Amino acid sequence: MNIDKVIAGFFIILAMTVNFGFFYGDMGDMELHSKYELFAAIIVNIIATLLKLGDRTQMGSVLLATSLVAVIQLVIAASVWTIFGYETISREVFGIVVSLSGGALLANITSVMLYISETVKSKR
Amino acid sequence: MNDSALWLVLHKMKVPFLAIVISYTISIVGLLLIDGVDSYGNIYHMSIFDAFYFVTYTASTIGFGEYPFEFTYQQRLWVSAMIYVSVVSWFYAIGTLISLLQDKLFISQIKQYRFKKQVGKLKQKFIIVLGYNYITSEIIKIINDSDFRVVVIENDKDKVDNLILENFTPHVPVLRANSYDSQNLELSGVKSMFCKALVTLYKDDELNLRIAVAAKMLNSNIIIAAKSTTKNHTENLKDLDVEIVENPFKIIASQINLALMAPNILKLERWIYQIGKLNDSLPTLPQGRYIICGFGRFGQEIYKVFKANNIKAVFIEIKETKKRANKDIIFGNSDDKHILKDAGIDKSVAIIAGTQDDTTNISILRTAKKLNKDIVTIARENHIEDFSIFKNADIDEIFMPSKILINKTTNALIKPSADKFIKYMRTQDEEWGQSLVKKLVQDIDENPSIYLLHLVEKRAIAILNKLKTTTLKLSIFKTSLSNNNLANNIIVLMIYNSSTKKEIVLPPWDTNIEKDDKILFACDDYSINEIEYIANNVFELHYAMTGQEKRYLSFKF
Repeated sequence: MNIDKVIAGFFIILAMTVNFGFFYGDMGDMELHSKYELFAAIIVNIIATLLKLGDRTQMGSVLLATSLVAVIQLVIAASVWTIFGYETISREVFGIVVSLSGGALLANITSVMLYISETVKSKR
Repeated sequence: MNDSALWLVLHKMKVPFLAIVISYTISIVGLLLIDGVDSYGNIYHMSIFDAFYFVTYTASTIGFGEYPFEFTYQQRLWVSAMIYVSVVSWFYAIGTLISLLQDKLFISQIKQYRFKKQVGKLKQKFIIVLGYNYITSEIIKIINDSDFRVVVIENDKDKVDNLILENFTPHVPVLRANSYDSQNLELSGVKSMFCKALVTLYKDDELNLRIAVAAKMLNSNIIIAAKSTTKNHTENLKDLDVEIVENPFKIIASQINLALMAPNILKLERWIYQIGKLNDSLPTLPQGRYIICGFGRFGQEIYKVFKANNIKAVFIEIKETKKRANKDIIFGNSDDKHILKDAGIDKSVAIIAGTQDDTTNISILRTAKKLNKDIVTIARENHIEDFSIFKNADIDEIFMPSKILINKTTNALIKPSADKFIKYMRTQDEEWGQSLVKKLVQDIDENPSIYLLHLVEKRAIAILNKLKTTTLKLSIFKTSLSNNNLANNIIVLMIYNSSTKKEIVLPPWDTNIEKDDKILFACDDYSINEIEYIANNVFELHYAMTGQEKRYLSFKF
């Protein structure tokens, strides 16, 4: 067991679960999507990305790429939310925010799948 | 982007970035949780963006003040604690980034990347020159004047800076690295299809050999010019198929040989190397007894020449260890009056100072002049920087290995035809040389230019098209374009063709020219211009052939 790998795995999976937590629920219903959950998703995703930095293997590069996609999608979602008036946001714009986070969720799922497949292949 | 440099940054910035993210997150969460009061006294909670905005400007010490409303005491307490954490983490990240930018490894990575990109962009034949010093800088200047580009590898920082200050045009990419490392050779483009040659003229023969081996392994198609001063290394280099092996001592020895046997040929050679003119005084060496100071690599080469020519010579050598089966060596300091007297200075006609120390050489010749004022003094000059001292030292003949090395290398690399002509010239006798010098000075001037015309589509399109239907004589090139009955000042030194193995030295004017011929002219600058016109312009060619103006273009599809 390696403490680095525990931390990395923890954040990679947490990034996906928190992202899912924000995404889950009716697309247009603002009450079902907490802004705090989006904030947490962004932070956890950034940390997961940073943890993947500096790994020059093929797997490390692909993992970093998926995380970057997730971070960018989530940051854009948060920016859209802020730009279009925060509290007084319309249903359509909110739809954009949620679907952007949905895209980030896909990237996170890919990331987790890659992570698990690598673990399964590993003999140690 | 440079891969390794980027990864280096990412790897080292990982922890500082994490510190920033975590400290920001803690600060933001705290600000979100603590109750605030708006201007009407109502309970107010900061939005996430407000908190992020506040932390951003506070952590970077910009400090716009309390936002959006004045803080309560609970909030201020939290902010005081948060400032210590976030500001410290911010400075930690900035500090790491700046130290990274000053990191030697990082800088060298960036420079290496730039060099690689510059070499990759060279879409023109180039020559790799190893080491930067006076000799190679002169070589670079000459190569830059031709169609080739130069790439340099140099390990010494000061020399690299000197090269950059020299501001060569076109630009010369330089890599600061060990040249004997095959990886660095690869970086400098040895494997590129545009790389034509590699020049390695280090003092250390072993190093030259090592580089030649590495370069030949990486790309067997490139020409290598290497310096070698010992027989053993020369043979090794020849075994490797190194095309140009140069021994400066051998060059000087052969020049002394020429000066003894055929001074006019030496004069021609100096003219082709552009270190002398045809009307210079003859570098004649007297016949008689010689004293040679130094029996090192230089002395031994001269010994061979003198032995072959049956010239009596006495050698003076300071090191007793260099004992050879040779009776004519006196051991001792050649600067010593008594030693020189012992060597028979008053019976000798000339003295050659050939030690590797310039000061000693000058001093020897001074002493010799005092002892025998009629003696001819000949010096070997090792360092080009000492040029002015030698010039004022009143020495009869100065042989400079470095200068010869420059001309020899550049000629072999970019003017192979002139090199070919010199090789032929060496086999001729004094009479031949004398008549050629006379002819050149009479027909052209005391310093004719050398011009090579290669009959290929790029250089002589008009001639090639004409040759498809008819035959042309060499005399077409000497026709004056202002009046076709007159002739320009041209002498054809040589015509050769690598595919048909034709090689004629000083060909007669009625020689037929063929496609792919290389013609070496000696002429004035004006004639070069006219030769180029005749070779490329159909109208001028027509006039040169018939003496009439061509009035229409006939198109052929």
